Amino acid sequence: MSEIHIGRLLRANTRGCVAGCQINQPFPAFGSMVSIPLDENTKAYGLVTDIHIDDDGLVRQLAASDNLPEEIIQDNRLNRNVPVELSVLFIGSSDNGRVSHLLPPRPPLSLDRMFTCSEEEIRTFTSSGRFGYLRHILGALDLPAPDLLAAHLMQAGKAHAANDNTAWAKDAIQEIITLLRDDHAVLTAVLGAIADAYPGFAAEN
Amino acid sequence: MAESKTSTEISLQPVGYVVSGGLKENLNVRLTVPAQEVQEGSFIVIESSDWQFYGIATDLQLGATDPRFADEQSETRLPSALAALLHGQTLFTNLVVMPALMLERGPDPSSPLYSVWRASIDSGDKEEPRPMPVKTLPAHHAQARLAASQDIAEIFGDPEEPGNFSVGTTREQNHPVCLNLEKFVQRSSGIFGATGTGKSFLTRILLAGLIDHDKASVLVYDMHNEYGLDDTASDTGKNVVGLRTAFGRAKVQIVGLGGDTKIRETVPDFNLVLGYRDITAADIELLTRELNLKETTPTTLDALVTSFGQEGWFKAFKNMKTDSWIEDENGKKIPAPGSVAYWANSSGVNVMAAEGLHSKLKRVFNLDYIIEVPPSDTIRDIIEALKKGKHIVLSFGRHETDLDYLLVSNLLTRRIRDEWEKLTNTFRSQSAPEPRPLVIAVEEAHKLLNREMAAQTTFSTIAREMRKYYVTLLVIDQRPSQIYDEVMSQLGTRVCGWLGDDDDVAAALSGLASRDALRGMLARLQPKEEVLLLGWGVPMPILVRSRRYDDQFWKEIKSAKKGDFDRDKTISTMWPG
Repeated sequence: MSEIHIGRLLRANTRGCVAGCQINQPFPAFGSMVSIPLDENTKAYGLVTDIHIDDDGLVRQLAASDNLPEEIIQDNRLNRNVPVELSVLFIGSSDNGRVSHLLPPRPPLSLDRMFTCSEEEIRTFTSSGRFGYLRHILGALDLPAPDLLAAHLMQAGKAHAANDNTAWAKDAIQEIITLLRDDHAVLTAVLGAIADAYPGFAAEN
Repeated sequence: MAESKTSTEISLQPVGYVVSGGLKENLNVRLTVPAQEVQEGSFIVIESSDWQFYGIATDLQLGATDPRFADEQSETRLPSALAALLHGQTLFTNLVVMPALMLERGPDPSSPLYSVWRASIDSGDKEEPRPMPVKTLPAHHAQARLAASQDIAEIFGDPEEPGNFSVGTTREQNHPVCLNLEKFVQRSSGIFGATGTGKSFLTRILLAGLIDHDKASVLVYDMHNEYGLDDTASDTGKNVVGLRTAFGRAKVQIVGLGGDTKIRETVPDFNLVLGYRDITAADIELLTRELNLKETTPTTLDALVTSFGQEGWFKAFKNMKTDSWIEDENGKKIPAPGSVAYWANSSGVNVMAAEGLHSKLKRVFNLDYIIEVPPSDTIRDIIEALKKGKHIVLSFGRHETDLDYLLVSNLLTRRIRDEWEKLTNTFRSQSAPEPRPLVIAVEEAHKLLNREMAAQTTFSTIAREMRKYYVTLLVIDQRPSQIYDEVMSQLGTRVCGWLGDDDDVAAALSGLASRDALRGMLARLQPKEEVLLLGWGVPMPILVRSRRYDDQFWKEIKSAKKGDFDRDKTISTMWPG
């Protein structure tokens, strides 16, 4: 599956960015891995950490009215002025195909294009190094880390399983446990989320 | 299909890595294998850069990175594989290792530094590395593994080398553990264990090793007639080969106490009969507790020796009459000449004390193996046999009371020790041949070496002197706590089977470093066939599954002897060229 353009950058900093996309496009799910080309050779990688749908004046009026026709609802959704905002947490970058789990060297610029990652790209990024990118997820205090990790493991685990590599998920969970074993509350929450997202983990591994 | 691993490969696999510890509080090794694969008492090797550390596992402890991970049964909330991953990271077992020795093994043989290191040893600039008491610690995360056979051989000696006697094997991997018999006989030793723990079999094994090695003579005080001739095991009913049966009369001789004593219906090689002149006042004083003698006894005995001489007092006192009176010229009753009271009055001794002593000594006077003039000097015969390298088992036959044991063993040991002292002094002053070392095996040792008697007996003197006069003890007992602690602390090698009593456990470990760490291990030994070897005579404590005293044991002893015969060497000596 090739990468799909999903939106353009609204704002960014070193640790993350927000992209706007239209609702009629297949925008990625929470926890999905996305990439943003910084130049011809460099890409920033991130995970979708939030999907934000802001209201505008019209939608407030519509929400208050009775007997709202379906056409109006669809028109408001598809032709809305305010885009759907995707918050992305940077987890690494690549330079000429060489993956790094350090933060990208610079943030992308406004209106840069954002793409979903292909399974191949996910496999390449997540199997590079020793899960160093997980520290960005665990270090982001304002994020729902358990659910984000669970969603990421589901997507990446599926990508690796498609390549007959079921050990990746086990290794990733092992690494998460190692990183969180001194924090009982967070680790318990993360494992609970993984168990919910990954009910087949026991059978697969 | 993967090839199965050999036992050596398995033992070289790490079982964990060092996470903390110190010389005083031992090392903690985080296990990377299931706890069941390593047991208390295991011999552990820790490899840390150029050094190898040797220790013994003294404890296993469950731990958790956070106690809540241990408290909660997460396996009920999480998929099993996820729970297993969690437990693998947050719950662990620490192995507590008591480090004992360290050995410099040098750089990796494949590195260029190794040849430099080796060359410095070969040129004499550096001493050949040898195991030494641990003085430093392995690094964090140093790999720990179970000892392989070559590690055991490095520390306890190669069983193929003469003088190294295999007493058993390590519990997990059955690597043979040796005692160096030459070192073993340099200091007194002890074999301890509660009743039924196989003490007698262990003693037989060690005695067989000593006799087979034949560098020291052995005298066994066989109170229960079980070492010399064949016996039947009380638990299995199988035949137990006696030392005389196994080694033959030319090597092992049985001495029976008493003129007509038979041991298991077998006539002994010779009989031990004592003469009146053999009994000294000191021999009687040693029986104070057994005969319930009063505090006036030493004074009375001293007066007897003064009156009748060292060699005549016993006969004279025995022949004195009691309750024998005559009338003087005034018709008053006075003690008759030849009576105890008569002698007491004439010697200024309290009559009541003398008569009391005479009465209590009747048990000694009535012993049938003490006669006025024995047909031969059997004690001298025993001493000469021991000097010539023979081994003696003194069987007490039907004379199995404590009185017999205390009197005879003390008397004989005193004479032997005097003789060996004389031999040693001659050797040191006149370049006479070096005396042959002698090991005296003493059963029920607490009867001879308890707190009250220890100061007086020759046994405690021997224990304290170590090898000064070439005589050492092999103390065999089930109640080490009853043995005087000063004697216990002098024991070199200790072979301890299971001991139930806390005081006995403490006594068996007295005078040893790290006794607190070893205490629990000793209390948790298997009731049979597991022993802890420790003390000066072994490089470090080790838990051993003792050898079985069976046909296989004797086959191995005999095949080892055959191995001594070098056919090619003999032929080349006889027909050079």
